[in-house]
Amino acid sequence: MSGGRLSRRALIAGAGTAALAAPALAKLGGMIDLGLPGGPSLRPTTPDFPGKQGMIVQRIRPPLLEAPMAVFREGVITPNDRHFVRWNWPMPTEVKAADHRVAVGGAVKQPVSLTLDDIASAGEQVEIVAINQCAGNGRGLSEPRVTGTQWGNGAMACAKWTGVRLKDVLAKAGVAEGAKRVRLAGLDVPLTEGAPQFIKSIPLDIAMRDDVLVAWAMNDEPLPILHGFPLRIVVPGWFSTYWVKMLSTIEVLAGEDESHYVAETYRWPTVAVKPGDKDFPTVPITAMPPRSFITSHADGAVVRKGEPLTLEGIAMGGNAALAKVELVGAGSGGGEPVPCTLGPDDHGPYAFRRWSVTLPQVSGDLVEIGSKATNREGASQPDALVWNPSGYARNVIERITLRAQ
Amino acid sequence: MKVLVAAALTLPLALLAGCDSPPTVSFEDASLTLPDDPNTLPEGPGRQAVMDNCLACHSPSTMLQQPRVPREKWEATVAKMVKLYKAPVDPAAIPQIVDYMVAVQARGVDVPRETSP
Repeated sequence: MSGGRLSRRALIAGAGTAALAAPALAKLGGMIDLGLPGGPSLRPTTPDFPGKQGMIVQRIRPPLLEAPMAVFREGVITPNDRHFVRWNWPMPTEVKAADHRVAVGGAVKQPVSLTLDDIASAGEQVEIVAINQCAGNGRGLSEPRVTGTQWGNGAMACAKWTGVRLKDVLAKAGVAEGAKRVRLAGLDVPLTEGAPQFIKSIPLDIAMRDDVLVAWAMNDEPLPILHGFPLRIVVPGWFSTYWVKMLSTIEVLAGEDESHYVAETYRWPTVAVKPGDKDFPTVPITAMPPRSFITSHADGAVVRKGEPLTLEGIAMGGNAALAKVELVGAGSGGGEPVPCTLGPDDHGPYAFRRWSVTLPQVSGDLVEIGSKATNREGASQPDALVWNPSGYARNVIERITLRAQ
Repeated sequence: MKVLVAAALTLPLALLAGCDSPPTVSFEDASLTLPDDPNTLPEGPGRQAVMDNCLACHSPSTMLQQPRVPREKWEATVAKMVKLYKAPVDPAAIPQIVDYMVAVQARGVDVPRETSP
């Protein structure tokens, strides 16, 4: 897209100054600099939230907490206390387990109201490791900038989820003929009368997948309130906007979903757009594209000239398994991509994998290098940002510059 | 928060439990105390209008962390809050809210704190 390309060139031109002046991982007296172009870029890591540590506080109420990129330097499972938090509306801060019910209704044979025990015994207990990523992850890095939560790249996390299949819960009520979608709602409700509730729906074929869960545990611990106690939806490979928290209503729809958060927002253009464009066609933002990050070095770091250099990072395939990661140079003149070695595939297609690559000898500055992930469906990270007015689904190659000394 | 998920959730015990005894899960009540927002809005004309009309839903931090956008975007943002999210904003306060946000962004203020760390 033209807007993205222009800004990309501007970024390269400014690499020697702006990028180095604001290293993305710099910690400044309890503040973290997210390196958001044009700022404001500093974010506090206080106040502390129960069950969390060292998180970037984007908003207090309803909470928006981002993981510093340092969290991703090791391992592939994100600890619960470093898992990002995102609420659209205020959630209750107290939930009585015995009182909680999940209503299953709409286009069903027999509406039911289920207790937590009913849910837990609805079917086989299933575990899956999957990346939870906000559709707006990296929005704050958009150029030109767009409004909304100004995330860096830390609104993502990978956890093991335990629960039962959504289809087994649906079977308690029986999906009626002609059902098209399954709409999900939680206990979080708007502050103002008449404002749209945060409800989301997924197509029936997605809802019936063997790996789409009603989950009660993350990394073998009960879901904390911040992550949707007592139950949340898990849709591996899809952005977390569909992973409805504090699940309390499952509504089977016989038609399309006209509600605000499906029909009017969390959508992105089907055509190339630039700032100011209006009335372009959009579709819901659903499946995640591949992404990857260099985690061993921050932008602006100094490396030893004449020595070998090992770079490490993480990668995800998104809605399909990761196929490869390559190290790429700046722009189209960046030379041949260098294949990277993938770490073990311990957790399946929807988890992070680590990667590493060793360059035999650093001969000079490594300008605007980045990692490029490709998944098994052939989707790859683009060289230029696919700019969109809501800053959704960022997966441009993330680049850093290393100085040789 | 105190919630117990049965030990069967951990892998070794799940294996020991065998296939014929379904894993059991028990749910306990959960609660959470959210921290207060230590951030404050910087002084300036219109600050009171913002406090009266915006703070119920938006932490000062959220407002102050937005990228610098033109006046028209702030006008559209306030209009969206009223129309879509039914925010009870006093119409007479809207120009003051917009003036304040434009002025604060022009000053490039970073989030001020009530107490120094």
